[in-house]
Amino acid sequence: MRQDYEMVVGLEVHAELNTASKIYCGCRNAFGKEVNTQCCPVCMGMPGTLPTLNEKVVEYAAKMGYALNCTINPVSKQDRKNYFYPDLPKAYQISQFDIPLCEHGYLDIWVDGAEKRIGITRIHIEEDAGKLIHDDSFTGTLVDFNRCGVPLIEIVSEPDLRSSADAKAYLDTIKSILEYINISDCKMQEGSIRCDINVSVHKKGEPFGTRVEMKNVNTFSGAVRAIEYEANRQIEVLENGGTISQETRRWDDLKGQNFLLRSKEDAQDYRYFPEPDLLTIVLEQDYLDSIKASIPELPNKKKARYIKELGLPEEDASLLAELKEKADFFEEVLHAANIKPKSASNWVLGDVSRLMNETNKPINDLGIDPKQLAEIISMQEQNKISSSAAKQVFEEMLKTGKAPSELVKELGLEQVSDTGTLQEIVDTVVANNQKSIDDYRNGKTNALGFLVGQCMKASKGKGNPALMKEMLLKVLEG
Amino acid sequence: MSTMELYQLTAEKLSAMLANKECSSEELTRSVLKRIEQKEPEIAAYVTVCGEEALKAAAAIDAKRAAGESMHPLAGIPLGIKDNICTRGVRTTCASRMLENFVPPYDAFVMEKLNAAGAVMLGKLNMDEFAMGSSTETSYFQKTRNPFDTERVPGGSSGGSAAAVAAGEAVAALGSDTGGSIRQPSSYCGIVGLKPTYSSVSRYGLVAFASSLDQIGPMGRSVKDVAMLYSAICGRDNHDATSALREYPDFAKELTSDVKGLRIGLPKEYFGEGVAAEVREAVSKMAKELEKMGAELVEVSLPSTDYALSAYYIIASAEASSNLARFDGVKYGYRAKDFANLTEMYEKTRSEGFGAEVKRRIMLGTYVLSSGYYDAYYKKAKFTQLRIQQEFAEAFTKCDLLLTPTVPDTAFKLGENVDDQIKMYMNDILTVTVNIAGLPGMSVPCGFDSKKMPIGAQLIGPKFSESTLFRVASAWETSVGGFDLSRTLA
Amino acid sequence: MNLDIKHLAKLSRLTFSPEEEAKFEKEMANIVAMVEKLPDLDASGALIDPDNPMQMRKDEVVNQPNRTELLQNAPEVQAGCIVVPKVVE
Repeated sequence: MRQDYEMVVGLEVHAELNTASKIYCGCRNAFGKEVNTQCCPVCMGMPGTLPTLNEKVVEYAAKMGYALNCTINPVSKQDRKNYFYPDLPKAYQISQFDIPLCEHGYLDIWVDGAEKRIGITRIHIEEDAGKLIHDDSFTGTLVDFNRCGVPLIEIVSEPDLRSSADAKAYLDTIKSILEYINISDCKMQEGSIRCDINVSVHKKGEPFGTRVEMKNVNTFSGAVRAIEYEANRQIEVLENGGTISQETRRWDDLKGQNFLLRSKEDAQDYRYFPEPDLLTIVLEQDYLDSIKASIPELPNKKKARYIKELGLPEEDASLLAELKEKADFFEEVLHAANIKPKSASNWVLGDVSRLMNETNKPINDLGIDPKQLAEIISMQEQNKISSSAAKQVFEEMLKTGKAPSELVKELGLEQVSDTGTLQEIVDTVVANNQKSIDDYRNGKTNALGFLVGQCMKASKGKGNPALMKEMLLKVLEG
Repeated sequence: MSTMELYQLTAEKLSAMLANKECSSEELTRSVLKRIEQKEPEIAAYVTVCGEEALKAAAAIDAKRAAGESMHPLAGIPLGIKDNICTRGVRTTCASRMLENFVPPYDAFVMEKLNAAGAVMLGKLNMDEFAMGSSTETSYFQKTRNPFDTERVPGGSSGGSAAAVAAGEAVAALGSDTGGSIRQPSSYCGIVGLKPTYSSVSRYGLVAFASSLDQIGPMGRSVKDVAMLYSAICGRDNHDATSALREYPDFAKELTSDVKGLRIGLPKEYFGEGVAAEVREAVSKMAKELEKMGAELVEVSLPSTDYALSAYYIIASAEASSNLARFDGVKYGYRAKDFANLTEMYEKTRSEGFGAEVKRRIMLGTYVLSSGYYDAYYKKAKFTQLRIQQEFAEAFTKCDLLLTPTVPDTAFKLGENVDDQIKMYMNDILTVTVNIAGLPGMSVPCGFDSKKMPIGAQLIGPKFSESTLFRVASAWETSVGGFDLSRTLA
Repeated sequence: MNLDIKHLAKLSRLTFSPEEEAKFEKEMANIVAMVEKLPDLDASGALIDPDNPMQMRKDEVVNQPNRTELLQNAPEVQAGCIVVPKVVE
């Protein structure tokens, strides 16, 4: 994007909640079932049927509200949003209009090494629509109602985002919070988290431009592409002397372009009014307090703490905090022994994560005792074992389940730091590698690495490499 | 009437006869079905008659009774059901082309209750299309006639229910009332009809007209019959979020006729210029009679009554425009034949499937909710509703119930008002306030005018005061020696 | 009052012939004139009734769907789905 312009982005994230039943009826909330087998007269909008609100939906939405520092309205209501579409059987969506469940919150995100606060306008509950199946071999469109009535929360941000990177960080953080408090499966490929994007651009120092809404953004990477595309499109229009009109555009991720869906003149008139089939949602303070108390430390806060208090690099902090189980595991390792956070992080993000990928298992199913891992790290930090020995102990521990200290003894991996023993090894290596010594002295400093390697080999991997390196240098420089 | 036919009797009497095995439900059902066959060409109260199913159900009930099972008071009693109440496996049309062939795969909650009680369903009764109207003339299928004078309308929208009960084509019936749709036809046809307290009867399975005002209610030939039927259908339903969480007494069992010490309010706004003199006189006579029996008469005022009709038509139409949007030709009901695309399918389906009155209400509802008009109409109407509710509450500090005419005049002639919507809407002027305030309202016969057409009096009480309404109605009924339906039952 | 019959009809997914439209316009004008009779109330504030709170439903799966029954009233069905004219977006 051109440097003289700034973009302003606001996001509306729709997340499906992972309740057992749907929001307004007792149908199963399940994905991927045979068409029209997860619906009933209520979610199909049959005449005379009535909605009844699932209490779990309210609980989950309030949880997200607390997670995003919102005020939870103890009294709220539901409204009808009226429009005709074949995937909307009642021809209205039950949503919340002027009194959402949660409002006035914020979310702190990390972007490019700095923390940034994004305002949360509101979070409300609503029902999902069905699915339209298009098939080119067929002249009509097929309607599957299984998704009708799947509970959604819509999280609306303030227009506080200033780049696609901001948006990406915001979306990643939202997703990770949803997973932390376990209210959504966040399966992008199943469409369980989607977003609408508002974008405007303006010349730096000038007032905000007219915003354009983009719909049909189903992936986070798509969101980044869509935002950049739209900002550039608007700049091009402006640079060519045009004006931006308030309109709705549809993002086509395959084509990497968006298309006009509705101009301002065709704006839908949704005729919102209070849903007469449902009464007021009234939440007692005790109930709200218990929900608030159930919120764990959230990934964005954890990440900030890891950076600020543990001194971890931002990338480490992000990766560790991303999943609650991973962060919990990391902290258990860290607290089990007096070790450096960075060492623990290296292990969790290194060997442990590799193992997770290889076995496709969650961290807690790997069979690793955080205390034992901490012991390995501790021994390594204290030079009792070398890093290669540490890896060997780790592998053996996984296989045998034996304690690390036991394995170190059993395998004879204790690191040798006795200077007398090491000096003998160094002397032998020096005596047998005259060419490398000459090379080093002629300025080929990488010969030192080779010599250290030879020492390690001679010590059968047990010699303290730092000490042996020191001794070698003494000989070479001396 | 020298020898009484079974179809002429009240549910109360028939329930006792069935219990004493003086007749069987099958005999009773046959008697009513025969009456239906005789009277339908003239009255046209039914959209669908389920003769075979009714006889089968009756026989099953007789068998249960013979086996000594304990029976509900309504077991074996043949009832008619308004055609906007969903009946599993029996088409439910709302008297609309839109739902001409709609067969619900579910029962309304009230039907579950009646089926469990062993009541026998005779069929589905005609009504104004989607319950929008006051004469049953907006039905897509047929025009129902008033059994007292077949040149006249039975009232509406539950006109089929009222006519059937008055003509002996059902022992009792269910109707629905959004702005007077039970009380006005009950008044026109000389029967008793109750619009229960909003939230006391589940709306699950009642095809919605205006969700915040609709209520299913009983219609019968005696106060006790209506109390029996009300007891059978009221109660909490977990499938209706607006259904009240409370227990109800057996209204029929506890029914008394003692009005001593009851304060009966006469709201002056309900006895104004627009009300026919004969109607005013009949209701005043009833008031004086109740006073003689020991009730106290109090004059009260409900100053916002003038605004009720506006508030009602705005709220009801707004909700209707949304409730009826689902009839789009996609999932069920009528779908137009020729269309080029989705929008055309929607527009043709709805334009061909709905009648003119339904379209007017949808358009009005769309208008009052549309961008820029919501505050001026819908919101204002909702605040007016609050004021009307407060005024009723205020009135009920001075009296226990109110007595008013049900309708300003008696039944009009078919076709008389079809082209004058405002005149038609004025029919509801004395009944809509009750729906607006969520109160129970009941119409009881209180005499005849010079055209020999029945006049109805309306009793209105605070929320959940049905027992009091039954009590006063019963005292009146006793004092007049029962309501006179000899002409229509003959 | 500004009654745009064409716009309202479009929002309501209804169509009228020119004659019908003229008749409707007249009728609607009368009806709107009738319902405009409302007191001058302060219509600010929310339409909400906290004194009548809603009892919510437990999160339990209770339905046993029957697709055949659910689709028995549908005008057109194919492959277990309801068919509508091609939706182009």
